[in-house]
Amino acid sequence: MSKHFLRPPGAVAEADFLGRCIRCGKCALACPYRAIRVAGLLDGLEIMGTPVILARKSPCYLCLKCVPVCPSGALESRVKKREQVRMGTARLNRKECLNWQGTFCRSCYDHCPLFNEAITMDGELRPVVNEKKCVGCGICEHVCPADPAAIIVTPRGAG
Amino acid sequence: MKIAPIRRTVQILSLAGMVAVPLLNSRGISAVSGSFYSLEIGSLLLTDPLIALQPLLATMSIDATLLDSALIPIGLALVLGRVFCSWVCPQNTLSELFDAVGARLGLTRLWTPGPGPIPRYAVLALILAATLLYGFPLASLLSAPGIISVQTARFIYEGTVGLELALIGTIILAELFLVRRVWCTHLCPVGSMLSLFRFRKTMRVVMAEEGENTCLHCRECAKACQLDLNPMAGNIAPQCHNCGACIDACQEMTGERRPLSFRF
Repeated sequence: MSKHFLRPPGAVAEADFLGRCIRCGKCALACPYRAIRVAGLLDGLEIMGTPVILARKSPCYLCLKCVPVCPSGALESRVKKREQVRMGTARLNRKECLNWQGTFCRSCYDHCPLFNEAITMDGELRPVVNEKKCVGCGICEHVCPADPAAIIVTPRGAG
Repeated sequence: MKIAPIRRTVQILSLAGMVAVPLLNSRGISAVSGSFYSLEIGSLLLTDPLIALQPLLATMSIDATLLDSALIPIGLALVLGRVFCSWVCPQNTLSELFDAVGARLGLTRLWTPGPGPIPRYAVLALILAATLLYGFPLASLLSAPGIISVQTARFIYEGTVGLELALIGTIILAELFLVRRVWCTHLCPVGSMLSLFRFRKTMRVVMAEEGENTCLHCRECAKACQLDLNPMAGNIAPQCHNCGACIDACQEMTGERRPLSFRF
């Protein structure tokens, strides 16, 4: 298996996705944020032509416009609400996180679309990811001021 | 009436649509969306039959919506033959263009395949077998029209294109220097799949019985065919994609009494 990418919302499990996705590019056309990119040959032969999201550059804003346009069921049309999305899980690197290092920052907390659910602040105002609620949209990764980002989404099924 | 002007118009509209769809989609107008893999017009979904078959083989599960969306393209092929190839496919348009350039430059190809069994169905079978074995939609990576349309959209959306276009470049170079129009006649799995949907009544180029007298045996029809087929020799149906160039050439020589025409 080549490297794991974040897939658009509603994507079936990776192995199934690779067989089901017909590489038609309709989800990328439907994305108003141009967050869905078409992977190229350099990303791997298996991945080539499939939709990927590079959250640090452009995350998923969970508008879910891509889900119903998928003709092959690679994106499951039953996913209609953003709470149902399971693209991955945000992982916080406390060593890099400004809050955990003593500077006050609430970028990820403020921008999380599942506000105060997927990312909460602990008693000392440090962000904590609630893995049960996090949908993996990558907005936190996109807005994190640390460089490299202290919060990174691990795609579902990867590590 | 000549066929070429109508066909050229359709080809240009097809190319224009391929550019217009992503441009409009990127501005939020998405009444028509998709690519030459799968196209959505309003609520009507049209999918390349070869592409629609892949997930079935790759995942061994039936997706009725996807398979149904191949029915109209299949119906079109059953009635009109492989007109997708000759009238719509951007790869064919490119190949025709470069073939004309090659002719202008007086290029000679390395090899001219003679008559005989053609490898196209073997290539198609291999691709489908690989899809079945490895659960991987290989034909999507070998669909020239699909690649051209998706990469056009990618250029409009991302400002970059992928190395997939190397396939298109390879096809053009091979057709210019190795074998004339080899992709369309011998290899393309999309065309091979479409040519399977053919029966007795499918539209084809026919030399009229009563036209026997009017055939001048000038061979202009054979000369006009970019696929190096000879309509005078009879059964060219499996390879011919109904572009109508031979019919136009025939009309040029014999006027309205032309013996060659499309028949069902």
